[in-house]
Amino acid sequence: MSAETPSEADILRPINTLTKKWVALVAIAGLAFALFLVGWAYQLQKGLVVTGLGDWGSGGGVTWGVYIGAFIWWVGIAHGGIILSAAVRLLGMERYMPVARMAELLTLGGLSAAGFYILVHMGRPDRMVTSVISHYHITVHNSPLVWDVTVITAYFVLTATYLGLTIRYDIVRLRDDLPDILEPVYKILTFGYSEAEDEIIERMVWWIAAAIIIMAPLLLHGGVIPWLFSLLATYPIWDGGIQGPMFLAIALTSAISGVTIAAAAFTRAYDWHHIITRDIFRGLLLWLGFFSLMLLWFQLQTIINGVYFPGVAALEAAHGKLHAPLYMVSMGLVAGSLMYIFAQALRPELFTKTRAIITAFAVLTATLIEKVLFVVEGFLYVQFSMYSGVPGSYVPSLIEIASILGTIGMVALIFLFVSKMVPIVELHAIEHLRGDHDEHGSTEVEA
Amino acid sequence: MSTNTEDESFHPLGAEWESELTSMLDDTEYDTELGLAMAEDAQRLVAGELTEAEFQEKYHEQVLEEFGEDERPTAGAIEDLEDEGGFVDALTSLADGDQSRRDVMKKMGVGGAALGVGALADGRDRDANAASSSGGTTSGKQWGMTIDLEVCDGCLSCMKACGEENNLDEGVNWMYVMAYEDDTVGAPENPDEASVKDWPYLVRPCQHCTDAPCEKVCPTTARHTRSRDGIVLTDYDVCIGCRYCQVACPYGVNYFQWDEPDVSQDAIAEQHSEMTGDHIHDYRDRPVDSRSPRGVMSKCTFCPSRQDGYAGEEKVGTTACMDACPPGAIQFGNVNDEGSDPSVYAEYPAFGRAVENFFDTSSGVRASNGIPPLEEVESQLGTSGESTLDDAFDLFHLDYVQSTYFAANGYERIATIRAITIVADNIEISDNLNRTRSMAAAVEEARGYNDALVAAGIDFESTEVRRTLNLGEETFDDAYGTLRAIFGEDASKFNLLEEVGTSPNVTYIGNEPGPHAEQIPPEETPEDKAVTSYAAYTYERADGSEASIVDNRMDVIEEETVRGL
Repeated sequence: MSAETPSEADILRPINTLTKKWVALVAIAGLAFALFLVGWAYQLQKGLVVTGLGDWGSGGGVTWGVYIGAFIWWVGIAHGGIILSAAVRLLGMERYMPVARMAELLTLGGLSAAGFYILVHMGRPDRMVTSVISHYHITVHNSPLVWDVTVITAYFVLTATYLGLTIRYDIVRLRDDLPDILEPVYKILTFGYSEAEDEIIERMVWWIAAAIIIMAPLLLHGGVIPWLFSLLATYPIWDGGIQGPMFLAIALTSAISGVTIAAAAFTRAYDWHHIITRDIFRGLLLWLGFFSLMLLWFQLQTIINGVYFPGVAALEAAHGKLHAPLYMVSMGLVAGSLMYIFAQALRPELFTKTRAIITAFAVLTATLIEKVLFVVEGFLYVQFSMYSGVPGSYVPSLIEIASILGTIGMVALIFLFVSKMVPIVELHAIEHLRGDHDEHGSTEVEA
Repeated sequence: MSTNTEDESFHPLGAEWESELTSMLDDTEYDTELGLAMAEDAQRLVAGELTEAEFQEKYHEQVLEEFGEDERPTAGAIEDLEDEGGFVDALTSLADGDQSRRDVMKKMGVGGAALGVGALADGRDRDANAASSSGGTTSGKQWGMTIDLEVCDGCLSCMKACGEENNLDEGVNWMYVMAYEDDTVGAPENPDEASVKDWPYLVRPCQHCTDAPCEKVCPTTARHTRSRDGIVLTDYDVCIGCRYCQVACPYGVNYFQWDEPDVSQDAIAEQHSEMTGDHIHDYRDRPVDSRSPRGVMSKCTFCPSRQDGYAGEEKVGTTACMDACPPGAIQFGNVNDEGSDPSVYAEYPAFGRAVENFFDTSSGVRASNGIPPLEEVESQLGTSGESTLDDAFDLFHLDYVQSTYFAANGYERIATIRAITIVADNIEISDNLNRTRSMAAAVEEARGYNDALVAAGIDFESTEVRRTLNLGEETFDDAYGTLRAIFGEDASKFNLLEEVGTSPNVTYIGNEPGPHAEQIPPEETPEDKAVTSYAAYTYERADGSEASIVDNRMDVIEEETVRGL
């Protein structure tokens, strides 16, 4: 902890300032998002033919590509984010309290991006509500895609509730220092607040966190999302029970990286070195190392299973995977990150925040590549592969590439604007750091 | 207790089995005689000799007496049901607006089950959305195919006909034929001297699976099984274009409409203004036929407009590809009916091939296969019984044996005609005489020749003739043996990816592609031979435009991909 004492003024700084850098960031993020919206509008006008997608079969195309790969990537970031935040509350990892709200916001941003991707991916997004909702009672019994939409919606609601509840405490206490122009927003957020609710809310939030901690690994990123693929026995790349743990490991590495980057950006912009300390970054990096190790371990499991005595299709799939340069790039990035994390664990002087941030970027890049490859390669190595078109090839179109930048811009915009409205570091964290939040003091666990 | 041992055993497994059943029934507290009588009549019921109503009528009182209750629906209830076109239909007509049969069934749910009508309705109606139900129905209609890969010659007539019938965009190969090679089969060693038939082919329409994975994963029920006849369709108005069906299908039969289809809905409706329906909406008024609109999924439909009778009664039970197939490799029909063309062909491939090779009612007797027209047989050989087998030989013999498909010549042709009639007398072939192409009609044709030959004086029953024609004792086995000798031993039958559990309704005859099977790309087949020469064929569409058969659709849609600004 730095010598400087964290104060309310610190966490109010983003709200009460308006810097050129902020405006520039909004412009850049807005431009990325706008460019993609233009691309999407063109796609709506022309049809999905503007993408690099095609029919698998005689055409040897790839019917799901960047849109679905990036969708899983964002959902992974979202799921990992909220697991992190729930763990802070539930397991008493209070050291990470200053980044908990960023993790929650990352979850909402990630889910928004993922939801947006669902629309972008569809041939007839206009029917999303009518066709899906009106047959829900039938399809929910069969379709993994419907389970998927169900749990993601449930998850969004849980997270929003969670964030909404915890924000009330801060707003009431900091109201005098918040801009009056946003009065209606604050009124809605603190509707019906009384001090007596603090304790109740605390308990509610604990239970929601408990629900999230149980749901996320078992059902969400360790369950329903991988099931979209792993239940299809004729696609060796996707098939198999390892996908649950694999997806979860990828989700957690992505989310920790995402939180690291967001935290670094805010720390730098608002001089929060005494709030989001070096210690937090180092702790996050160690967790990143742990989950990267899991990720590589699960990958090793699939490769070993695919090359030893796997049957014709699975062998082709494993070979295809191993010979894809991008796969090697992705795994190389994770392995390199892991080596650095090990090294700095042994020799602490190797740790710097900049290196931690570079590692986070490397891992996020790796997981994005892995996710898109995972989806695409499913179609390249299928059991029924006698078509001369199979394996085909897939090169994403400009619009699909723009979608990645666009959704990153979109999530950045969410962060930029939300941080202008509510404290992005919760008041509890400040109180805790100052040591005036006694009830939590005794349960601290070092991560 | 007495049993009916004095009669021939009613049970197909024989008297021994029956006596075992009897002793099992004896061990129960219930009346053995009633049990056996009911069992016997139950078989008659299945065979169609007895109606369900008659059966219930006969046993209702005895069952009541024996078991104290009879929860089976009464004869009266069943008769009412049948008279009114079904209880469910009756309820549907009561419901307002466009409430579907399915909805009514669902609402009936508990109440219906208590009345015992649920079970009845169940057998006849496969709930469109009961995708989770496993196993195929054996009752009710299920359109399906038997495809004889041994006679396919890769001419692509089926792909062409499909494209034309459905106004498909280029590269949308609902029907797809590929030449392939694997560890055991491949291109002939001497391609220049080989016949197009010598390449191994796989013909790949949609398999219309009973346990369709595409339907299971669909988040909207757009992909569904039509309850009336078990065909798997896409409702173009419901599909959201998520493409999960294409992902889940292990066969790769789906084609997404990436952009605006070449032929407009108006043009299709206009093209079909002569017929009932617009070749888009089926009998339920759901848009499921022809190419799909932009942004939704399409695949082989088994021609619902034809099955619904919109193209005339003679087209019910046909598909465009089947009609177009010169060697009759594609057999379409109700695969739940043992006497249907695909069932008979799958059971007796040599018989099916013989019939298809020489008799084909869609174009009459095929000149290319060299059977002289019936009138010629009658005029040349006369009807006075004075002609000999040698006279017939001269008439039926072709100098260019190679030009015929199975190289059957002279006596073999006459033997084939005779054997077809003998085999046909011994098996059940469903009466589809009105259809443009049907086995029953082709058999009738063969009978005409048989009768003409008999009238001309050929005594098939004489030892000499039988010996010359290799017809043995003129039994079913001997006759079928003759056909097998000419048209090939019964080749292996298989379903594609049977182990995946999709329960496909397409059965193949011939070599099953091995695990290392690879399509032989068209550019590697000889230029002067029509071995899947995709680019060589075009088809005309409703708007007058001409489309080429395109092997790889990426060649078409890649043009629109945004690669630069």
